[in-house]
Amino acid sequence: MLRNWINIFLYHIKNNKLFTALNVLGLSIGIAGLIFAILYWNDEHSYNDWNPNKERVFQVINRVSATDYWASNVAPLEAHLKTDFNEIESYCYMDNWYYEEIVQYKNKKEILKITDAQRNFFEMFPFDFIHGNAKTALKDNTSIAISKAVAERLFGTENPMGKIVTYSGKKLVVRGVYVVPGKSSMQPNAVTNLIDNRLLAEKENWGNFSFGLMLKLKNPGDKEKVIAKIQKLMFENRIVKWAKSEGITIEEWLKKNGGDDLKVILEPIKDARLHSITDGYAEGKGNYQFLLIMVGLSVLILILSIVNYINLATANAIKRAKEVGVRKIIGASKSNIIKQFIFETILITTFSILLALVIVELSLPYYNEFLGKKLVIFGSQFYLQLVLIFIITIVVAGIFPAVYVSNFETLKVLKGNFGRSKSGVWLRNGMLILQFAIATFFIIGSYIVYEQIKYISTKDLGFKGDQVLSISYRNKYNWKEDNYKKKVYNRYNMIKTEISKINGVEQVATGAFSFGSSNGSTTGFTYKNSHNIQGRNMAVDFGMLEMMQIQIKEGRSLSEKFASDTINSMLVNETALKEMGEKNPIGKEVNWNENKLKIIGVVKDFNLFGPQDKVPPMVFFHFKTVDWMLQNASKIHVKVKGENMEQTIADIEKFWVKNVDTDYPFQYDFVDKEYARTYETYVKQKNLFSLLNVIVILIALFGLFSLASFSIQRRMKEIAIRKTLGAETNVLLKELSKQYIVFCVIGFLIALFPVYYLLNLWLENFAFRIDISIIPFIIGFVVLLILTLVVVLSRAYQATQVEVLKYLKYE
Amino acid sequence: MIKINNLSKVFRTEEVETKALNEVSITINQGEFVTIMGASGSGKSTLLNIVGLLDGASSGNYELLNQEMIGLKEQEKSKVRKQNIGFIFQNFNLIDELSVYDNIELPLIYNNVSSSERKKKVEVIAERLGISHRLKHYPQQLSGGQQQRVAVARALINDPKIILADEPTGNLDSKNGNEVMELLTDLHAQGSTILMVTHSDYDASFSQRTIFMKDGIILSEKKNNRNVDVFVS
Repeated sequence: MLRNWINIFLYHIKNNKLFTALNVLGLSIGIAGLIFAILYWNDEHSYNDWNPNKERVFQVINRVSATDYWASNVAPLEAHLKTDFNEIESYCYMDNWYYEEIVQYKNKKEILKITDAQRNFFEMFPFDFIHGNAKTALKDNTSIAISKAVAERLFGTENPMGKIVTYSGKKLVVRGVYVVPGKSSMQPNAVTNLIDNRLLAEKENWGNFSFGLMLKLKNPGDKEKVIAKIQKLMFENRIVKWAKSEGITIEEWLKKNGGDDLKVILEPIKDARLHSITDGYAEGKGNYQFLLIMVGLSVLILILSIVNYINLATANAIKRAKEVGVRKIIGASKSNIIKQFIFETILITTFSILLALVIVELSLPYYNEFLGKKLVIFGSQFYLQLVLIFIITIVVAGIFPAVYVSNFETLKVLKGNFGRSKSGVWLRNGMLILQFAIATFFIIGSYIVYEQIKYISTKDLGFKGDQVLSISYRNKYNWKEDNYKKKVYNRYNMIKTEISKINGVEQVATGAFSFGSSNGSTTGFTYKNSHNIQGRNMAVDFGMLEMMQIQIKEGRSLSEKFASDTINSMLVNETALKEMGEKNPIGKEVNWNENKLKIIGVVKDFNLFGPQDKVPPMVFFHFKTVDWMLQNASKIHVKVKGENMEQTIADIEKFWVKNVDTDYPFQYDFVDKEYARTYETYVKQKNLFSLLNVIVILIALFGLFSLASFSIQRRMKEIAIRKTLGAETNVLLKELSKQYIVFCVIGFLIALFPVYYLLNLWLENFAFRIDISIIPFIIGFVVLLILTLVVVLSRAYQATQVEVLKYLKYE
Repeated sequence: MIKINNLSKVFRTEEVETKALNEVSITINQGEFVTIMGASGSGKSTLLNIVGLLDGASSGNYELLNQEMIGLKEQEKSKVRKQNIGFIFQNFNLIDELSVYDNIELPLIYNNVSSSERKKKVEVIAERLGISHRLKHYPQQLSGGQQQRVAVARALINDPKIILADEPTGNLDSKNGNEVMELLTDLHAQGSTILMVTHSDYDASFSQRTIFMKDGIILSEKKNNRNVDVFVS
């Protein structure tokens, strides 16, 4: 029996080479898309999955304003954690980011990602220890634990335990070597325990949120209790004390400061990667929305190709009605016929999956580059999912046509005339409408995405950075050194003077911020009756605003000519001004962090973070006005001339590695590129959408092509009769394409709401966004209609040109 | 009305060349009822198809209503066809997806007759052929005889100059067959020109003239003395 099945299967393949090939190709593209999505999905979901404490260990996050969530905490809480909380098994203060610093062993230097944490860091993140153990690895502030890879790089084959390395001028003893067992939100190259001194220095300061904090609860159910306790402590030690020190009641204080926005949130590690409310870990947050988009779109494409398969299979089945009839007469049962057709689907699906794996294997490098990941086709979980895809595809794609075929009425089939039967037409037409809807979704969707990306990439940012280099700059002094601030200032001045001398350099300046990054500091202040304004501290050097071509809307910019500009002058941006509610700001005094600053100008709003974010309130002053600000400058901005730019940059690099930083590599980028990187992921989404759009349209058109072919084939006799009765070609074409236009319109209408809703949702990612106009819909409709007409009319035209006689006589 | 002169039709395959029609000449006058008879492959159907403009000739002349038909473009053929020719087929060739009414109406649509006019005409012809009560049915719901009546109604709806019938009784039992032949005879009596292809001597006897064909040529011609009653008893 199996051989009989295979023979007839091969016969049909041979006789329908084009359709079979396109069918398999369509199915394998659909499956390949889903495999890509699954690989990405698995990778993102594997974060912290290995961590046995993922439900019990929480990160403490503070909501400081309606929109700001900080994964950082105050130091004095520690004293209370030790004594007042019996719900807590242990706690760990740590930096939830990496220092990228040099660690030296003898002559070997390595730049490592280092986390500074309290001694029980490994209780929160229980890495596997090769040498030492979790308890003793960070037992004091001379300890360092390193990863296995680092150990091999620094020590080669030597046993690293007990070896002394130099880090930031300190000698540290290696007390543990670990391996990170899986993807983790924290996976540093090395962990130190130097944080306790920093905590000590801040132990009375309830206003400085600087430290990451992890809590391990005995019972995760106590979460709310712990939150309430911490919140109460924060209130008592902040608001109550502050009100007291100002000599006013709590109510008065709250009224004056616009209430207390502080809310504490405990977030388990299992939510850290994909469902975190903030970006609170060194390895960052996954893009859950993008992940859902990927999975959603790839499922849509798979549905599309399965629909194609079903359509073709049922249409083809009519041709095979006679075979089925004969089989039934000579004794095949219904289930026997079903088995035969499912068997064929199994063969086709197997081909398709194999082809899909080939496609994935070949394009995985591009995909990895696109996602910035290192995905591989591997893992028991993946193989299981692959089997699942296989089974689902067979069930969905196979059972429909098989049952349909098995239900053919034997007698009708054998009497002939079955080729014109209408059976199954509703199913195929329904599927066709679904395909039109999916295609509409993609055409309109990708057009809207394209429009939005075009909008943000051509939008006037309020600054110009195409000839300005932004060079990474490290502050190498320790704040405890004598004359620390002066040293920082002198070094910056030296660099500025020297680089300015280089041929081709137009100007050198900087600010305590960098474009396209939210690094930097904010300080809250109030003005008259305004609520708390959390302004970005935009400390700048003279000339910085002019160099970046940032516009002054009112008043003047900072200038060397005015002695007061380094003492008490400030500018605010339009957003800050609006929040202050001041009509005539020039000359007004603002009480900023216990300094009395005078407003000399208003800066026109410009984008700092990226198009996703609103322009925050900003406060500008000179570095000397607030003298601790210069240490926050992590970039030196250099404007270079257009000609001989490469030479100029090479000269700067030469100077830099010799005089500024001998250990760390020279890193720079143009400011406009740096800014563009903030919405890189959206550009990628646009490209992804466009690529999928092409694939979807191809698959859908192929489906339409084959379905139209079959349906016209079925109507050949009708066409012949009409022609005999005198129908002209264009009348026939109208008649034949009419129904497809109707399906096209219905499919279009079905897709309208979902595409509008989902794309609006997507656009909400952007503070600067387009409104969805009617144009994408018109374009989408016209494109869909034209493509439909091209496909259908070409098939229909062919049909009207055939010999009438053949169909009148022999059918 | 129809003047055919030295008409030939050659089918070529890779190996052989078959002459389906070999220099055939016929004239059919207005109001005549002519039958073509012959064995399978004699060329009779080919001739009918060429007359009906469904097929082209290889050489010769064919004049319909004093207009040369050979060499006409598809569009012009289609125009001549829809205005002048009514077809009746052995297997009826009705469109299963359309109701009886819609089937009969089709030629009028292609001749741009207005909808109200169409309705009137369909009702008249249905009345005449006794299928008024079947207008809403679909072809598959009718008996063979009724289906052929529908086909005849469709052929006549446009008042064609000539009716071409290709074995119109071939798929019918003798009773229904007889009815159809009487229908054709009536039409002839009312002045229609009819050209019919058949295998049946009996059917042929209804016509005025029978042409016998064999191997693509006309063998002989015979005038029929119609005396229907004798045969029917």
